[in-house]
Amino acid sequence: MSTLDTTYRQQVALYYAEHHGWIRAWLYRKLGNACDSADLAHEVFLRLLLKPHRFDSDSHAQAYLRSMSRNVCVDFWRRRQVEQAWLEVLAGRPEAVAPSEEHRALVLEALQQVHAMLSRLPEKVAEAFLLAQLEGLGYKAIGERLGVSERTVTKYMAQAMYQCLLLEAELDEALV
Amino acid sequence: MKRSSDPSSGQKPDHASLQQAAEWYARLSADPHDEAVGAAWRRWHGQSAAHRQAWQYVERVSRRFAALQGEGDTAARTLRAARRTDTSRRQALRTLGVLSGSALLGWLGWRATPLPQLLMAWQADYRTATGEVRDFVLADGTHLWLNGATALDADYRPERRRLRLFAGEVLIETAAETRPFVVDTAQGRLRALGTRFSVTQQDGFTRMAVFEGAVEVRAADSGATRIVEAGQQLRFDRRTIGAGEPATAARQAWTRGILVAGDIPLAEFVEELSRHHHGYLGVAPEVAGLRVMGTYPLHDSEQVLAMLESALPIRIQRPLPWWTSIDARQ
Repeated sequence: MSTLDTTYRQQVALYYAEHHGWIRAWLYRKLGNACDSADLAHEVFLRLLLKPHRFDSDSHAQAYLRSMSRNVCVDFWRRRQVEQAWLEVLAGRPEAVAPSEEHRALVLEALQQVHAMLSRLPEKVAEAFLLAQLEGLGYKAIGERLGVSERTVTKYMAQAMYQCLLLEAELDEALV
Repeated sequence: MKRSSDPSSGQKPDHASLQQAAEWYARLSADPHDEAVGAAWRRWHGQSAAHRQAWQYVERVSRRFAALQGEGDTAARTLRAARRTDTSRRQALRTLGVLSGSALLGWLGWRATPLPQLLMAWQADYRTATGEVRDFVLADGTHLWLNGATALDADYRPERRRLRLFAGEVLIETAAETRPFVVDTAQGRLRALGTRFSVTQQDGFTRMAVFEGAVEVRAADSGATRIVEAGQQLRFDRRTIGAGEPATAARQAWTRGILVAGDIPLAEFVEELSRHHHGYLGVAPEVAGLRVMGTYPLHDSEQVLAMLESALPIRIQRPLPWWTSIDARQ
């Protein structure tokens, strides 16, 4: 992040002084948890630092920061939800093995990334992609499972991958 | 957050290359042993740096999945469960008043909006989620009301004020100033000669209505222009400008949270309502022409549907949580 110029940093510091209070209060109202809302309020400014943005007015800044706070909030809920689903699946297994902290963090991160990718896709497309990528099924088997032709499966796979690529590109852009 | 294997050496791949990469991926995984496909892919891969870069993104996506392949079936089951609860999560977020840009993205996706437009909407300066109406005041005092699922950019320069509408509907009350004020849509440009007008970006055309003053419309391809006076509305595409008709006050009612239908076809009503409804909302052709009249609460699309169902010979069906269809009652 050496490319960040200091003037922009100073600018963000000013935004922080001006807006941090209400953002934190807003997040607290949404989440009802002081710890999480403090973390997420920082996340909002971290994102602003990573993806520079200039505002032409104070109301513009406020509107933008509010929509960022929403996005941060939604991401937080999504992470929680994936974690919840994973713990439930693990609990339902006969040979309940507690994963190590490190392994758990790695798997959760991957699950969250993949979930974010799949959430953009229509049901059948997401399912086809899951069957191919995680269960290693061939197109013929996937087609039978979903009741579609192999040709359609090929189309689904291209569509799914394209959406994932766009997301990767967006991530890059957000981090540049 | 670190990307040690970063494929982008400063420059990012273009959409066409990404699309081709995705297609190659689909063809290659159909039969990894197909030598002819493999050879054709290698030619494509060797053709340009952009292709190679796009392919590295494919590898990156595959690595994300690879991290989960050792997890047996727990990963797939978790992801399916997380997807199932997605809809209820949206519901929960909605009651909390938290709606994300990704909800908007999803909504637009179901309507098969062209991708570049979708991406622009995602990054727009001002946007509203489905079911959300908000107003903004710009630096010059111009007042904007954004209807649900709307995205626009404001680009103010010393010599002109310009808005770009990507999706949805906006009602604009311009501030009196010497700088020209224009709105660009996918079909053309509107130049405000007066104060209050609304613009709606629809699939393939733009609809506009003038409530005060006048607006000049210019179609992008043909260059046809027309001045629309207060009290008039019309639609235009990139080539032609449609005939003007009297503007109805109903076109502004959404700013107050109500939807006013003055004897309009059901299909048109539903198009309006879909801006406030989460998920897909479709009308069967047999009932699309039924006439709708009345005043409806915009914030509660489910209630509006129930009201319609009791007033018209229709049946509301929900085969999937986010899929609603309106059919003829048997």
